[in-house]
Amino acid sequence: MVDLSRRTLLQTAAVGALAGAMPAQAAEADGVTIGWPSDVTSWDPNQRFTPDAQAIFKMVFDQPLDQDPKLKLVANLVSKWEMAADARSLKLEFRDDVLFHNGDRMTSADFRWTFFERIKAGHKVDIAQSFRKVTDIETPTPTTAIMRFDSPAPTVPVWLAFLGSFMVPKAYMEKVGVEGFSAKPVGTGPYKLAEYQLNARIVLERNDAYWGPKPKLRRVTIEIIKDPSARVAAVQSGQVDITVGVPVREVARLKAMPNLAAELNPITRVILLQVRNDEGFADQNIRLAAHHAIDKKALSQAFYAGAAVPLSVPATPGSPGYLDDYSFAYDPELAKQLLAKSGFGPDKPAKIRMASTNGQFPSDYDMARAIVQMWKKVGIEATLEVIEYAKYFELNRGNKLPEATLYSFDNATGDPEIYTGYLLNPKLPFSPWKDMGLGQKVIDQFNVADETARIAGWRALNREAAEMGATLPLLQSVQTLVRKKSLNYTPYGNGWLLGQTMSWS
Amino acid sequence: MILLATLGRRLLVAVPILLVVSVLLFVALRVLPVDPAAMSMPPNATRDEIEGARRQMGLDRPLPEQYAIWLGHAVHGDFGRSIHLRRDVLPLIGQTLPGTIELAVCAMVVASVLGLAGGLLLFSLRGRAAEAVAETGTTLLMSIPEFLWALLFIFVFGVLLQAMPFTGRLDPGLERPVVTGFLLLDALLVGRVDVFRSAAVHLLLPAVALGLAFAPPIMRVLRSSLLDVYHEDYIRQARLRGVSETRILLRHALKNAILPTLTLMGVQFGFLFGGSLLVEVIYSYPGMGNLMVDAVRNADLPIIQLVGLTYCVVVLLINSLVDGLYLVLNPRLRKR
Repeated sequence: MVDLSRRTLLQTAAVGALAGAMPAQAAEADGVTIGWPSDVTSWDPNQRFTPDAQAIFKMVFDQPLDQDPKLKLVANLVSKWEMAADARSLKLEFRDDVLFHNGDRMTSADFRWTFFERIKAGHKVDIAQSFRKVTDIETPTPTTAIMRFDSPAPTVPVWLAFLGSFMVPKAYMEKVGVEGFSAKPVGTGPYKLAEYQLNARIVLERNDAYWGPKPKLRRVTIEIIKDPSARVAAVQSGQVDITVGVPVREVARLKAMPNLAAELNPITRVILLQVRNDEGFADQNIRLAAHHAIDKKALSQAFYAGAAVPLSVPATPGSPGYLDDYSFAYDPELAKQLLAKSGFGPDKPAKIRMASTNGQFPSDYDMARAIVQMWKKVGIEATLEVIEYAKYFELNRGNKLPEATLYSFDNATGDPEIYTGYLLNPKLPFSPWKDMGLGQKVIDQFNVADETARIAGWRALNREAAEMGATLPLLQSVQTLVRKKSLNYTPYGNGWLLGQTMSWS
Repeated sequence: MILLATLGRRLLVAVPILLVVSVLLFVALRVLPVDPAAMSMPPNATRDEIEGARRQMGLDRPLPEQYAIWLGHAVHGDFGRSIHLRRDVLPLIGQTLPGTIELAVCAMVVASVLGLAGGLLLFSLRGRAAEAVAETGTTLLMSIPEFLWALLFIFVFGVLLQAMPFTGRLDPGLERPVVTGFLLLDALLVGRVDVFRSAAVHLLLPAVALGLAFAPPIMRVLRSSLLDVYHEDYIRQARLRGVSETRILLRHALKNAILPTLTLMGVQFGFLFGGSLLVEVIYSYPGMGNLMVDAVRNADLPIIQLVGLTYCVVVLLINSLVDGLYLVLNPRLRKR
């Protein structure tokens, strides 16, 4: 007979309760748990352009073309591609060994469905805008497709590896409909969706019939943790194995922990000031003075631990539009001289308005305040206002954005058309710059078919835009990443974090 | 009978209130300087395409016409589609509301237990040296908002002790039973003790963080109500009859002092329901607050509108419930 005292009983119960409460630690060896800041908007990958969801989609779906970690365009579902000299057609050859998760073989008919038929059928998909030049997709054989365009479309291969361009199965989607597909998505990717809880958790299981290299980890669990402090706590407590988007100031602290590695990785996101060409910025001298007055190195040091690279053009180092031999100098004296030419100075400042988001990207508002102070020293008095990111397009549409707006722009491809072509195109909702002198050059550049001439053109435009003060690029943004030291992953230049590249040491 | 009539009257009054709230919400959201049409389109959409989307969404029509169309659809259960998620809004609310109710109810239980126990303790310490210490303690508790408790608990129980989970509603690997949407209830209905335990453990920190922030006002109101009640004649008479102090407190005074506390708890529940928003985000708890935060960020007007209306319905229901409880607890009201 065991004699149990009241105290022993209580102690046993307490230990039992605590054991029951112990959180499930992120499972090592056969799986990984990722702390991710946002959920997918839908499991129809063609539907919305959500840069943060791109990496999640890339685990379940495949893109016709892919990018390697250095962002070079590489074969994927498409094994060979050939753009016509006039960039009005693109011939694609597909692999013949690709199966969808439901066992259906992928053919060129699926490609035609994804990038043409479902758009024509009126499905509300964002890729309709990316492929608006497509007039037809011919499918002479199950492994060949020819895309036809109404005007030169030299960047279509880039778009086939960009936002929303994921192959979906024609037969399955026609059978179950878009809602049915979103409820039970089927892709060709290295993982299959096993479980999904809105705004909480995504569980992926390895696709053992995957056509490419098999992922080392059987299971990927993605915990949706929107609060940055909670993500820090989750990785510190071991509830997740790897996470991104932690506050920059936490990186050094977490780096010092014995079992964690913390990194600041430069990515293809640029931080810049989007400017108007009128009102207080109608005078080029003032715009250039504003640019010369900003100490970008100091901003990087203060807000990104020095890891964010100062930029002179709206392109990141290593991308085709970046100019290694060009630097826009930090020169407050020159800024004062330029302002003096226009009759302004510290005693008689030029007055402008400036807008910034607060919390849209790390340290945005603080950085805006620092810029206001830098401007004040040379003779530009800026009134800073906070806007919601959602308001940017509405204000720009109504021509109500202030002279300068602090903005962060993501371009996972690194292609100059998607940087300069979008940021400075007066016809698109990003650009507050409405002057058609530069604007028309930007629009015309979209139709340059020859790749060498196309890249050269964008590089020249980048320089011209910086020298006339049409753009005030500031920094290359960084991705903060914290992981268990024993977890290996492949860093991508655009910040993708892919389960199929992960393994445990 | 009187109880049912009162509840019926309450529900009738709720209809015009809901209509007024829906008008206010509709107008307020439409005059905001955000462009839902632009938000619904990809970044590379042209101005013409955005204008097309605006026409398609009916945003180019006069405001009263827009409202009439919305109301016409709403009475048929069609509250529109999310601009950002491109899904019907009603099922999204249906998916997330049970989680928020579960969290709010558990937090209310925490707040009530702590509030009532604390109120009784405060009252019992009246006139003693410890009273000042207890008063300072409640002031301190009142000055800490729920999100600070939430972060503090994560740090202590999640990071330092590593004893509690603080993300989501369930451990990974556990399949979520779906019967009513209320996870604790569903786990019991399907007889899954493991799921019930995991859900309860996941709920503990957010519920206590939320409940702790709402307990101090309950403590204070109960204490001051008890102080008032103790000046009543029947308390003196009970003492004269030789009834013990504990019995006077629990059987006579508390019964009467609880009524204003109950009113406060009803009001508190409305605030607590709204206050779950930040706590849900911090704990990655997939409830309606989490949905609302995303909707605000993306100017997703149909979701914001329906979440706002849902909050209103919940508050109206709680008020009716409190009125009903009042009738049950206070016989004098039944005679009126």
